[in-house]
Amino acid sequence: MGTEYTHPIRNVRYLRPQKEWKEIIAIYLYLAGMGAGSYVIGTLLNWFVHPSRVLSIWGLPFDFAKAAILWGPILVAIGAPFLILDLGIKRRFLYACLNPRTSWVARGFLILSIFIVFGLILLAKSVLPFEWLHAESTFWYIAEVVTIAFAFATALYTGILLKATKSIPLWNTYLLPLLFLVSALSTGSMAIILSTLGTSLLSLDATALKILMGGEQILVVIEGIVLFVYLSRRYKASEQAKDSVRLLLFGEKKLLFWGGIVLLGFIFPVVLESISSLSHGNPVFIFAAGIILLCGGFFLRLGVLSAGIREQIPMQRLMEIKYELRTMKMKEN
Amino acid sequence: MEQKVLVVDQQKCTGCRLCELVCSVHHTGSSNPSRARIKVVKWEHVGIYLPMICNHCEKAYCVEVCPTKACHREADNNNRVVIDKNLCIGCRTCIVACPFGHPFFDVQERVTVKCDFCDGDPKCVTFCDPKAVTYVDADMIQVAKKREAANKFIDSIKQLR
Repeated sequence: MGTEYTHPIRNVRYLRPQKEWKEIIAIYLYLAGMGAGSYVIGTLLNWFVHPSRVLSIWGLPFDFAKAAILWGPILVAIGAPFLILDLGIKRRFLYACLNPRTSWVARGFLILSIFIVFGLILLAKSVLPFEWLHAESTFWYIAEVVTIAFAFATALYTGILLKATKSIPLWNTYLLPLLFLVSALSTGSMAIILSTLGTSLLSLDATALKILMGGEQILVVIEGIVLFVYLSRRYKASEQAKDSVRLLLFGEKKLLFWGGIVLLGFIFPVVLESISSLSHGNPVFIFAAGIILLCGGFFLRLGVLSAGIREQIPMQRLMEIKYELRTMKMKEN
Repeated sequence: MEQKVLVVDQQKCTGCRLCELVCSVHHTGSSNPSRARIKVVKWEHVGIYLPMICNHCEKAYCVEVCPTKACHREADNNNRVVIDKNLCIGCRTCIVACPFGHPFFDVQERVTVKCDFCDGDPKCVTFCDPKAVTYVDADMIQVAKKREAANKFIDSIKQLR
């Protein structure tokens, strides 16, 4: 059987994306985004609806409705160690924390740390039964505004971290932070819906749940539109961005894209939620839609990460031309 | 001080990979090419061999993205870009950022490493018999290119005659 000469760079089967950032970074981006998005949605819900469901444990009244909608910082706190887990020398992570002006990785450490600390304080303040904590004052209001700003920054940062890598054209666009922000808000709102589902924590505020569900569906549609615009704009941006999109849509990552991102992230949740609304809000369908949507959110980050192909350097182009010329000569002979 | 750079002449490279070997011996003490700071990319069936080296770029992305500034430029030392192993946290951001795919992750030391010109005496240059890798003054690169273009021009004139 004759040897088949396949182009080492141009052929889809041989497209080489970056291999440095893999699943661990995707989990980090996903949990940070989902936690931040869930906190933003939860705080807005808290401001405008004031859901409350006080349950007594050992004689102390805990507000479980607040815990269910403001638990985002816990997710971010779980996700942050994944970045440390990916480091070569884990004990040195503080070096990055101490240099916030150097790069987006370092700034991210700072943004996430501030969000986790403030978010956990506000979560504790809302849930714990101490009267002096609940005193409504300008201080707490400012703390909430600061925390929601840092939650937005955290959700955006997950995209900015990748955007800062200028040599990978698939990531080097402002549409990526926007895509991750919308995805963070949609997965975050679904995380809140899941945490309140079946527990009747929001049952006293049926309108709140309805608004949350409606908002989540709108966010999924917006996310789909942003993803389409992102991919189509990247396809036209440069040769390597085009290769990345091809790798994702038709190359070896096509299962991840069509199965993980499109089916799990968009089609299944929308279909299941439509069936659920037809069957008068059957929680089983909503629960299934939620879990599937959350998986889709993770696959979105993993897909974008694993399809990042580096910008071509002039030397590579020269090599391509030489390769093509020699292959043609060999075929002629 | 005159700035010197590594220059690769791909036409001269025979793909022997001696440069990888001496590089790893010099930097790590082990003859393990996977830990070398130079990599020879080979397409055997068409006979193309390309030694990939760090270009110590003017606008170095690896320096821009390093969260601890372990990756920095030494302006007073041949304007080279080096990584301080004592500061590197092994985040591999510089590897992702470099379009030449140059900094390498050393799995034994758990940090990122890169070419440092062997402190002014590059071993890849010393041991490269066909002189595919040379260490020359930055200004001389242009002269070499011009000389090469002139030689090609002379050859084509000769062929016409």
